[in-house]
Amino acid sequence: MSPRAREETPEATGAKERVDRRLGRAVQRVTATALGPYQSAVVRIGFAGTWLFFLLREFPHRYELYGPDGPWGWDMARELIAGNHAFTVLMWSDSALWFEVVYALAVLGAAALLVGWRTRAASALFLVGVLSLQNRSVFMGDGGDNVIHLMALYLVLTRCSQVWSLDARRAGRRAAGARVRDVAGPLLWAAALPGLVTAVLLRDRSGELWLLVLLWLLWLAQGLWWLAERRAPGQPRALLDVVANLLHNATLAVVMAEVCLIYATAGWYKVQGSRWQDGTALYYPLKLDYFTPWPFLSDLLAASGIMVMLVTYGTVIVQVAFPFTLFNRKVKNVLLAVMMAEHAGIAVLLGLPFFSLAMIAADAVFLPSVFLVWLGARIARGRDRLLNRRRDGSGDGAARADDGERADAEPGPRTLVG
Amino acid sequence: MHAYDEEAGEGPGPHGAAPPAAQAPAPPAQAAGGPAAPPAKAAGAGINGLSLPYQITAAVALAVIAVGGLLHVGMVFLHVAPANTLSKQHGEAVDDWVLPEFEQNWKLFAPNPLQQNVSVQVRAEIAGRDGGRRTTDWIDLSAEDGAAIRGAPLPSHTRQNELRRAWDFYVNSHTDDNRPNGRRGHLSEQYVRRIAMLRLSERELGGRVERVQLRSSTRTVEAPAWSDERHDTRAYHRVLPWWTVTAADLPAVAGGGRTEARR
Repeated sequence: MSPRAREETPEATGAKERVDRRLGRAVQRVTATALGPYQSAVVRIGFAGTWLFFLLREFPHRYELYGPDGPWGWDMARELIAGNHAFTVLMWSDSALWFEVVYALAVLGAAALLVGWRTRAASALFLVGVLSLQNRSVFMGDGGDNVIHLMALYLVLTRCSQVWSLDARRAGRRAAGARVRDVAGPLLWAAALPGLVTAVLLRDRSGELWLLVLLWLLWLAQGLWWLAERRAPGQPRALLDVVANLLHNATLAVVMAEVCLIYATAGWYKVQGSRWQDGTALYYPLKLDYFTPWPFLSDLLAASGIMVMLVTYGTVIVQVAFPFTLFNRKVKNVLLAVMMAEHAGIAVLLGLPFFSLAMIAADAVFLPSVFLVWLGARIARGRDRLLNRRRDGSGDGAARADDGERADAEPGPRTLVG
Repeated sequence: MHAYDEEAGEGPGPHGAAPPAAQAPAPPAQAAGGPAAPPAKAAGAGINGLSLPYQITAAVALAVIAVGGLLHVGMVFLHVAPANTLSKQHGEAVDDWVLPEFEQNWKLFAPNPLQQNVSVQVRAEIAGRDGGRRTTDWIDLSAEDGAAIRGAPLPSHTRQNELRRAWDFYVNSHTDDNRPNGRRGHLSEQYVRRIAMLRLSERELGGRVERVQLRSSTRTVEAPAWSDERHDTRAYHRVLPWWTVTAADLPAVAGGGRTEARR
């Protein structure tokens, strides 16, 4: 220590200690907790749901979009991918059967991620599905596919199943003392191995090395986790937990930065355009044949110069301003609501429902926890009411008898297990 | 619902006891979400719950992950930002990091929205069953897309993106006199040809398609009625050469009506 440091006033030392303590608390916080449980869950549900919905909607067109003999033929994709090394397991074989298998796995991965069943494995399968299909036919996608692609990569590194997932429900049961047999986990883990080995064997057709390493590391980490839970529940298990939290928190921050970059880019480039400056920009997409599913609505909006200008300016202002409003909760929430509403409008007016859904899912990372908790409770209540009504409707007497039986039986087995 | 009592601080293992001074603050209590709210995960031991060797490992992990995250955001920033001093010096490093999987383009309708309707049209030379040859009229494929999109709450990518983006791809990989300007030129030619053949296969043309010709018809959107601008809204055509159709130009879309239509 230098002599000057020793001469510090008591207040200065106090301030330094305070900073140290705050830093210590922050480090403890990001290592002990996976922050934003509701936000990461809503992002997971949003993107898995959007992609699942898209895959089901395009099911009749799947061959035309990604099939081996579609207009963007397998050989053509092979030639392009030889140049950019994008990852797609569809390059492993040009058979129609393999294509069907991959499409089915993509659907299953999205469905499992949506409900949060074996979420880490599901997110890896989701990643493989999204990249395999999108990279197979890059010219079929649009901005919506682009966001899904990015988020699929980020989601594998998050602990996005802490709430609103089957995994959370199982963890809750286990915490309550119920014995939960874990068969599916090891089975899934074993099932992934042939795929991972094939990817290594077909190295030159399996994308860039880092992605392969990432998938292998995920797989190894799952195995390590399983081992630690059973054999080393002390420090090693706690360390794994810390690393998982760190990865989750860093990735969530990256996701937030990514959303800010999206809006900043979209906004700042618009500022430079003459049509955005003169307030007529919105008019033009409303007159493009490819983006007017409801010409009557489009014409209605396009007919008013004032409305067009207000929306045009509003769009630019909101997009440019959004990243800066993160410093103020209230303003941020207002802009978030405006952006979500605008995307909902785009879904209908410009006929871009999947793009809009994906953007809304990305925006959702900034939703306040209070709102998400309230929303979750409302949805759960609605679901319960719906289920109860159906049960009541199925026969009054039967439902009542069932209730009575349960009430009688309740204290017995529960306490035994607990 | 459960789990709330297992708060942070207490290490799960024998070495887990942390010095009380460094005890973590309890994470913000999860607001009660009604009886149906799912259980939130309790906090783990955190770095304070680890013994020294593990703490060092965790600190290294923290440093690596933090640097990795910042680097990634920096790279993506340089990728989406306009060309600048940094990205000119390190453009290759940025591309290596970002491409292909993190590639992104958010210049949506920017700097200016598209102000023209571009229609891709095709005509075909048919070898009739009677042995004669004839040429069809121009068939507007984009107009068919537009008709399919109109009134559709969930337009398909096959209608909204396929032909539109294929044509962009062709235009971007060719010079104005239709010569490829790079290695992707021939791919884009084959792509638009295969899309055209797929669309033609849906029609009864009375024979086999021997050759096809494509053109684009570009029409500027009419100026808004409420503005004093006037636009030239005549159609301008870009006509491609005739192409002889080979077996490689025939896509097959199993399971749909399109394969049957071609038989």
